[in-house]
Amino acid sequence: MEIEIVVYKGTKVMELSGEIDMYTSPELRKELMGLLQRKVSPLLVDFKEVSYIDSSGIATFVEGLKGIKTYGGRLKFFSIPDRIVEIFNFSKLDRVFEIYRNLDEAIKS
Amino acid sequence: MRDSAIITIPSHPKYLSIVRAVTGKMAELSGMAESAIEDVKLAVDEACSNVIKHAYKGNVYQKIILRFKTSPKGFEVIIEDNGLKVHPESLVGRDLEDIKPGGLGIHFIKKVFDIFAFDEKKKKGNRLRLLRYIKGKDGD
Repeated sequence: MEIEIVVYKGTKVMELSGEIDMYTSPELRKELMGLLQRKVSPLLVDFKEVSYIDSSGIATFVEGLKGIKTYGGRLKFFSIPDRIVEIFNFSKLDRVFEIYRNLDEAIKS
Repeated sequence: MRDSAIITIPSHPKYLSIVRAVTGKMAELSGMAESAIEDVKLAVDEACSNVIKHAYKGNVYQKIILRFKTSPKGFEVIIEDNGLKVHPESLVGRDLEDIKPGGLGIHFIKKVFDIFAFDEKKKKGNRLRLLRYIKGKDGD
């Protein structure tokens, strides 16, 4: 998994690629918690290049969502591959995560 | 057609990608549909993650043995460890309505495998049997 933080029109975007599993999710957690400590909001997460996610990756994002809400921030996901949308739907997390089709939609919302 | 394979991996999370790759290939050999293959890869990954977390308590220097068997009946994976005994009754996933980190892995496993059973005869460690029956022409 690789993580890149970019700024698009003044908004922080976390670009993820590769596989998020029990091995790589600690690195994701560290990066996410670092941004939350700085009270970044909104934080956008680009899933376009994510090929796999397991329960440890999902748990990391649930923790991130709870953290960002403590200061009234927003966590927005976009460009999620169908396979990962299915996993979010099955876990009923599509109801709690803000999910957008693409970057522009996520920025405008 | 019957196929089988055995792999032994160290109990380190970095080997989970190998588990997924082998699981995917064996499921492919069984003729399973693509979407079901992805579900099976996730489920076996979750089962091995549970071994690392619960049976070995994060000790990355132990080993996990995976036995794959395909047959006209279905796709079977047996996962064996020498860690702490897992009490099946304690393996309850969280309520899906209760949104909190953790507790999803078991749901992913039970979603895709028809049989999820620990071998009670194994004295030390755990032997988990996962079986997915062939459900249609392409196993989906």
